Amino acid sequence: MAISERSGFGSGNTESPAEVAPIPLLEEVRNHGRVWEDLAAQYGVTNPDPPWKVTMDATCDILAASSNVLPHEQVVPGSCALPLLERRTEEDDLSATLYADVPFPERTLLALAHSMIRHGLINEQELARQIEKVGHRLKDA
Amino acid sequence: MSEHDHEHEHKPAPMVDEISDFEILEMAVRELAIEKGLFSAEDHRIWTEYVHTLGPTPAARLVAKAWLDPAYKKLAVTDGVEASKAVGVDWINSPPTKFGTPSDYCNLRVLEDTPTLKHVVVCTLCSCYPRPILGQSPEWYRTPNYRRRLVRWPRQVLAEFGLQLPPEVQIRVADSNQKTRYIVLPVRPSGTEGWTEDQLTEIVTRDCLIGVAVPKPGVTSNAKRPVHKAVHPVQHGHGH
Repeated sequence: MAISERSGFGSGNTESPAEVAPIPLLEEVRNHGRVWEDLAAQYGVTNPDPPWKVTMDATCDILAASSNVLPHEQVVPGSCALPLLERRTEEDDLSATLYADVPFPERTLLALAHSMIRHGLINEQELARQIEKVGHRLKDA
Repeated sequence: MSEHDHEHEHKPAPMVDEISDFEILEMAVRELAIEKGLFSAEDHRIWTEYVHTLGPTPAARLVAKAWLDPAYKKLAVTDGVEASKAVGVDWINSPPTKFGTPSDYCNLRVLEDTPTLKHVVVCTLCSCYPRPILGQSPEWYRTPNYRRRLVRWPRQVLAEFGLQLPPEVQIRVADSNQKTRYIVLPVRPSGTEGWTEDQLTEIVTRDCLIGVAVPKPGVTSNAKRPVHKAVHPVQHGHGH
């Protein structure tokens, strides 16, 4: 067991939190999206989490694959789309900067999308197209 | 059944009748990932179903059983993975494993508190958590503030959670990692003599299992926790 007296995080990330650049598409979602805590209060819903949280968690798990359970130094580069520790570290950085005023779990979702774009798994244009497609499907139904 | 009863029975639960941009974003990200072959829709469905099943009840029951059965308690503190089977959690075979993730399998350790020793769990590196037996981690557990400060000032942080421990109680912080995760086996509180396993299970809340609270008769839910932001966000190193 690792017992207390740890000295906290190390350093060495190449990008400091202050240098995290906003992604316009995600800024749009952040600025116009209604967060669950507001929606739940308005509609009298007691579920603490939005229904989409569980599917978002599953997306994170699948993208992380074996890095969910392997010590970071044993994760083979390229063995998973988005290693757990990298995503969580980026989420921490984004949560302290760009998305500091966004509540959880919306903050995690924005950070996930941000990391996926940053890592080249998806790009902003194709995500914008997909958002439009999904929006039409859900709102026009 | 009277008409009145009938109406009550079918009264729909309130629901959010609005599509938020965040809901659309979540779906768009997922569908795009599937379209680009990052994972399949079927894999995602399997994993989502698994995540849906997770919650703190199995861990609470493990504690209740341990309080009632000394032999089981001995098993729990020596082999948490084996003891988990009695509460329906198979760390090795339960999680979906068919798409490259070797599962959430890890070494579960059950940390037994005593009247003079209090355990509390953290993951300083990210947010490793014994999900198969305790469900998804709460927001505060994921924050750098909790992760960084608990290991430095455990007594003060526990006091902020409302858990004031006398000086003679030693605090031991367990730092989780990808392979080893922890739950706390708290001291059975007085006032629970003669209680059934179900009754005891109810007072073992998620926070008791993380170690930031202790069980109390009559308390069956977690207190709302303020989430503190880190005052001085740090840069993270991956070689931690």
